[in-house]
Amino acid sequence: MLGTQIQTRLQKWVARSVSTRWLVVLVLAIPATSSAAQVAVIAHLDAPADTLASTRLLDFYTGDVQTWNGEIAVVIFDLKPRTEVKKAFYHFLGKSPSRMKSIWMKRLLAGEGEPPQALGSNREMLEKVATTSGAIGFAHRDSVYGPVKILAIIPISSR
Amino acid sequence: MRHILPLLFALLLAGRAHAQANESELRVFCYFQNIWAYERFANSDGSELKFDSFSVQQLNLFLQRDLARRWTAFVNFEALNSYSSARNWGSFSLEEAWVKYRFGSRMSIKLGQHVPPFNNFNEIKNRTPLMPYIVRPLVYETSYREFIAIDDYAPGRAYAQIYGYVPRGETKIDYAFYVGNGPEISDTVDSELGQTGIDTTTSILVGTRLGVRHGEWKAGLSATAEQVEDAKAYFASLGAPFNPGELDALFSALKKPVGQVTRWRWGGDLSFHLGKFSFEGEVIHAGYNDNVAELKFDRDFSYATIGYQHSEALLIYASYQTEEGEFTRYHDIYGGIFQLSADIDLPVFGFAYRVNDRVTVKGTYAPVDINVDISNAAYEQENQELTYIGAAVSIIF
Repeated sequence: MLGTQIQTRLQKWVARSVSTRWLVVLVLAIPATSSAAQVAVIAHLDAPADTLASTRLLDFYTGDVQTWNGEIAVVIFDLKPRTEVKKAFYHFLGKSPSRMKSIWMKRLLAGEGEPPQALGSNREMLEKVATTSGAIGFAHRDSVYGPVKILAIIPISSR
Repeated sequence: MRHILPLLFALLLAGRAHAQANESELRVFCYFQNIWAYERFANSDGSELKFDSFSVQQLNLFLQRDLARRWTAFVNFEALNSYSSARNWGSFSLEEAWVKYRFGSRMSIKLGQHVPPFNNFNEIKNRTPLMPYIVRPLVYETSYREFIAIDDYAPGRAYAQIYGYVPRGETKIDYAFYVGNGPEISDTVDSELGQTGIDTTTSILVGTRLGVRHGEWKAGLSATAEQVEDAKAYFASLGAPFNPGELDALFSALKKPVGQVTRWRWGGDLSFHLGKFSFEGEVIHAGYNDNVAELKFDRDFSYATIGYQHSEALLIYASYQTEEGEFTRYHDIYGGIFQLSADIDLPVFGFAYRVNDRVTVKGTYAPVDINVDISNAAYEQENQELTYIGAAVSIIF
């Protein structure tokens, strides 16, 4: 856990101070022993939160809550591939991926909002979250680097 | 003038750019459900009727646009039963046209024609991709409007609604309050008032749903009240064995005025998911506070569905529905006490298999028992058994 926190802080510092090329080199050099088989819940740097409980995260993903603090709109992202990462994330929310799809479909057809954009890979998820204000998403812990916040860590083995 | 035109053009462009900054693109999406249905009617006198046919059971076309940060506009067109004006088949209607303003996550207001929440199912009754059913719980089955008085059971339209939720820890208390028109003239087919397309009722519908959500559990209570302006025409529209002529004779014999009648609807709903199992159930009571005590038009409906999510793609379900209507006239035109009770018992078995995010295949089997019990021998008994087998494909794009 301590290793994870140090790694996160280091990443934030790195993201603010070095170019992308050096960032990749540096992050790859950071030991990631504590991040094996983990999912990281990530958010854009402007998200006004440092941690996030599963209930709050579920509110974001079901559309019950659509702003961070009444001002910054929450933009959620989904992963397209049916991976263990995706299953672990939605299990953390207490839902199956198919149940989440039916919730989003209901919202779409009720005129309440669109389903989240489903991204093709962890890398794409990182790029989208890093560049979209208010964004929140998830990715394999090992693949998380760059200018994003880590709000929660979910062990895949807990499923 | 030479300078004014470019200036106007620039202003128009600037205004357009400003408007676009808050607008989303126009979203157009559509779904439809094609079905094949086999129906076998077996009458109590031994006669039989068989049908099997294909049709586009339902098609909906939606237009949606976020007009500004908190504003969303939504339009829903619906075509039923292989709609064709040339062949006089099916129907086409503007089901919804509303604009929504979000005060925040917990409160929104919807203005314009929309389907109000009543129990769990009413608001989504026409969203075929959301449900495993081919034939929906009967009082929500829009295709059967001619056979079942679906407008009696659930409110079809509202025009202003305030709704949202209040969080209490991990529990959310849902609320919705809405107003609409009283029973619409357009529902009273062949009424003495004619079909002008203009709703001439002066009364309003008021309704509410109060519910609670906790995890995968959801429950609620719903109620509506509305005035039926012309009770005689409305009761006549409810169908056999009543017609305006009979009612004229009845009311004349009773020397009773036919005025406004208050219709109340009460409903309760419960739904939950437990592992791979799901449950949804509802009860509805529709009653009339009429000023003719000799008439009784109360109706009840309930259904319960148990689902089993065999895999991510396959849902298997069993459902049981019952509709009961009791129509009582203590002084019928034949001079005797007249009581009619009709009930439909409907077990339904089916599955829905999601081929992908856009395509769902459905199947269903339903042995339907229709019992009409009439106390007066002057009327014919109408007991029927209906076997329904259906297959459907639901597409959304």
